[in-house]
Amino acid sequence: MTTLKDLRPAYVAGIGFHRYQFISDTPYVELGLTAVRGALADAGLPWPAVESAYVAKALLPMAPGRPMLRHLGATGLPIVHVEDASASGSAAFRHAVMEVASGLADIVLVIGVDKPMPVGRAESLARIGGLADDAIAPFTHFALLADAYAARSGAKVEDIALVALKNHRNGAKNPFAQHQKERTLDEILNGKKIAGGFTSLQCTPVGEGAAAVIVASEEGLKRHGLGLDRAIRVAGSAGRSQRVYDDATRYDAMLTQETAAIALREAGLSPSDIDVAELHDAFTVEEVEYLEAMGFAPEGQAVPMLKEGAFDIGGRCAVSPSGGLISMGHPIGPTGVGQIGEITRQLRGEAGPRQQPGARHGLAHMVGVGAVCYVHLLSRD
Amino acid sequence: MDELLKPALYRAEGTTAVPQRPALLGGECGACGYVFFPLQRYGCEKCGSLDLKPRDLSGAGSLLASARVHLHAGKGRVAPFTVGAIRLDDGPIVRTLIVEEAGPLAVGQRMATTLETATDAEGAPRLDLRFAPEA
Ligand SMILES: [Zn+2]
Repeated sequence: MTTLKDLRPAYVAGIGFHRYQFISDTPYVELGLTAVRGALADAGLPWPAVESAYVAKALLPMAPGRPMLRHLGATGLPIVHVEDASASGSAAFRHAVMEVASGLADIVLVIGVDKPMPVGRAESLARIGGLADDAIAPFTHFALLADAYAARSGAKVEDIALVALKNHRNGAKNPFAQHQKERTLDEILNGKKIAGGFTSLQCTPVGEGAAAVIVASEEGLKRHGLGLDRAIRVAGSAGRSQRVYDDATRYDAMLTQETAAIALREAGLSPSDIDVAELHDAFTVEEVEYLEAMGFAPEGQAVPMLKEGAFDIGGRCAVSPSGGLISMGHPIGPTGVGQIGEITRQLRGEAGPRQQPGARHGLAHMVGVGAVCYVHLLSRD
Repeated sequence: MDELLKPALYRAEGTTAVPQRPALLGGECGACGYVFFPLQRYGCEKCGSLDLKPRDLSGAGSLLASARVHLHAGKGRVAPFTVGAIRLDDGPIVRTLIVEEAGPLAVGQRMATTLETATDAEGAPRLDLRFAPEA
């Protein structure tokens, strides 16, 4: 089977953001254009150089792409909208990478933009309702997983909350984060109770924002007088969906395990090679579960390693240096794109106070309801 | 008042194995043997077969996890309440409400089904399935 390794290299050549923030009057068009203009300026590319665009969104109504992108000049480029729940941005990035790697395009835009709006889940239309589906919101799904994790590993509620302590500390240094405030463990543990051991500061906030990246080939950059000096290579890309697992409630972790294994194999990397990782930490327990599932920590050891600082900036592998979904936020469409932006910034050595020293290889991971999962690996050559 | 809230999912009578506890109405794949809940006819999630038959599941299992919910936005349900994940002795895992008088719960403990009075969308009283620590 052909993998990315067999195709020509695709690079992240530009990144741009609109800050993730609480819901506001700012139109989505302005959120998105801010991120796209940022990514173009960062890459040093003019808008007409972009041959194709992928627009990731999960909450905005139908077809938000052209009403936004026309304000850069209506060049007639193809626009594909991508919806894959929380992983929409990751899915869009994967498809942009495939288009460049295959040689069909040299310069492709990925833009994730969203604003909180009430949308239903198609699964509820399948007419296969459970016993009390309405009682189990996403935070309750993960509160149940946290209880099971605690029983399995011996971790306490305050141990799992250390993820929030770290990620709020990282987010406090990120000008694009929704929460930019360092918190004490006391503040985190004694905040508003949500479900199980979760308090509000252990859960991702609802918000809006935008993130954009430019994916390019070496030839495309050369044509515009640009080199590879700040370009970050996409070393691996994998996408999967849920299968039938023995413990059906742990599908997020099982799916993460198999998706990460494929992406790592494709890139020829192992978890110990990864210097920086952004993962789907919408709720604290997810980070410890996924670190173990992807092989960053042996089973049951993520908490002790967290306590030792292994996942801090400056530790063995900086995990969620952006602040992650808990602190940077999770506007849905942008989130997976923003992860690629943060990893690129880190691998370029341009992350300022959040910089993981000497970062060479990075991993981005998202899950989305359904469930789907994406893992991307980026490398500085 | 012995009308059930979700009669497609459970019934008052138990199974032969666990006669005193309300049974859950699951399914079994004739091709691969996969046992699932609730019953559906679209196709087997494991193998795709359309050979799906009803299979009654005993109302007994063990607790995989529980959580007290303090915040809930949905209408028709007022927090706090407790939900649990229960691995049924017959295989499938279900997630649902735990009776309020359950007291402290421990992962691994035995649980069983029970019917409790709830209300339907129009406010009429109906019996709904809950899990409770096994007496
Ligand atoms: Zn089957």
